[in-house]
Amino acid sequence: MIPIPGTLIWGVAKGFILVAFFLYIIFSLVVVRQVQLMTETLEVGFEAQLKTISYLHLAFAILVFLAALIVL
Amino acid sequence: MPDIFINPPEEKKEAETPTPRSFEPEPKFKKHKAPGHTHNPLAAYCYLPDKVNFETRESEEKVILLLRQHPITLVPKALIALLMILAPSILSIFPILSFLPVNFQLIAVLFWYLITTAFILESFLTWFFNVYLITDERIVDIDFLNLLYKEVSDANIDKIQDVTYKMAGAVRTLFNYGDVLIQTASEVPNFDFLAVPRPDKVATVLQDLRIEEEQEKLEGRIR
Repeated sequence: MIPIPGTLIWGVAKGFILVAFFLYIIFSLVVVRQVQLMTETLEVGFEAQLKTISYLHLAFAILVFLAALIVL
Repeated sequence: MPDIFINPPEEKKEAETPTPRSFEPEPKFKKHKAPGHTHNPLAAYCYLPDKVNFETRESEEKVILLLRQHPITLVPKALIALLMILAPSILSIFPILSFLPVNFQLIAVLFWYLITTAFILESFLTWFFNVYLITDERIVDIDFLNLLYKEVSDANIDKIQDVTYKMAGAVRTLFNYGDVLIQTASEVPNFDFLAVPRPDKVATVLQDLRIEEEQEKLEGRIR
């Protein structure tokens, strides 16, 4: 049986992690879009703050993706 | 032969119907002193809110009440979120991730915090946008059950057939919140305002609006 090199295992793990983080970015984009739609449906005077939170969340997701890309 | 029985002249029916509370535009200073009126956009109970607007609102329609679930209903989720935030520091005592290289350990912790952020955001948005509105013309139920599901249903005030409110349990009695169950003759037969603050006041407002709507019908003032 051919032994699997450790670098290959961690390389595959890195691939899976990056895919997971990419999917999370898509999720945070859905949140941004959903917040936009909901603030159009209902206005209560808190729209700017909510949109800011959703954009910050998206920025956080992108930063974590980039961090994983660099660190791993 | 004289008439034996003569019908007495009919009394005006208006005298029998109780006078409802008026929902006509009030002067600002009076409105701001009304009980339950607040400028807090995160309030779960707001009487005559200032800035509330919704997609299907008509130009002359006036929002009387904005309701959300009582903030106390968020406590279990807040506790879970707190545990999730503290978990990496607590679990650092046990070397669960020690088999991973250091860089993978760091990314694992970051991934955990992403999941925590998603949980907090989803819980907050679900609570914030799950709103019940009572206007002078109808009741509106905006359901935002999760990030991918949104449902808006409404029924005219004159279609309301029955309003029931219930407050069961020690926590609900202590924090004065409960369910208001509304039966209507519209396409959506039941509107359930769940875990809303001051359910008795909500039922009173609905009752007043129904009386006012009936009076409008009698006087032919229907919009």
